[in-house]
Amino acid sequence: MIERDFGALLTALHDAKVEFLVVGGLAAVLNGTPVHTYDVDVVHRRTTENVDRLMPVLESLDAVYRIQPERRLRPAKSALLSTGHQNLVTRYGPLDVLGSIGEGLGYEELLPRSSEMLIGPDLSARVLNLETLIEIKEQLGGEKDRAMLPILRRALERKKR
Amino acid sequence: MTPTLVRSVIRARRQNGFAKRYPIFMTPAKEVERVPGYSEDGIDLTLIDWMLSLTPAERLNFLQRQINRILAIRELNDRA
Repeated sequence: MIERDFGALLTALHDAKVEFLVVGGLAAVLNGTPVHTYDVDVVHRRTTENVDRLMPVLESLDAVYRIQPERRLRPAKSALLSTGHQNLVTRYGPLDVLGSIGEGLGYEELLPRSSEMLIGPDLSARVLNLETLIEIKEQLGGEKDRAMLPILRRALERKKR
Repeated sequence: MTPTLVRSVIRARRQNGFAKRYPIFMTPAKEVERVPGYSEDGIDLTLIDWMLSLTPAERLNFLQRQINRILAIRELNDRA
């Protein structure tokens, strides 16, 4: 079993000065929603400089594609520059490196919809806000996404009180 | 208390079940807001409030501990 260490994953990205936003279930938790998630989803800035910073981090985390992990396929630079989703497994657990989410929203579009959160003694990260998480789940409209909507909406209401 | 007022208090106490739980000299405190534990769509609001009372770092630590415990239990059961 790979023990999850979400903090270690985020620390590795943070320390390498990778520009990224925490999205998905972990963003929901960090915003105060009582849900469980088994992976870390991040949207990274798709510039050559940022991908050049990201690639050595993924290597140090021993990141390979989750599908057929025995083949130990590592994400190529071209894949990380694309809007696609790289579903990886690392020494600290699953990590999804996403070029865009929802209807083509990338780092630049999502940055104003995020806030900086202190999530460890020397660790801060930008985390997508609940409003946008809800908006994206509504757009996606899958069963899993729809199931999460009520708790996200109630958490947003309680947070605003 | 006038007889009319007494009757209205008794009626009110009967209507909300208060009479069964409290003696006659106590009157229902209508002004006390009842905080619902669940939303209309069945979400446990107390759990949300508890999560919101934590810092983001505490939320992350809680999630991590929970997930690792769940995975450990799953692994033990897979072996059994």
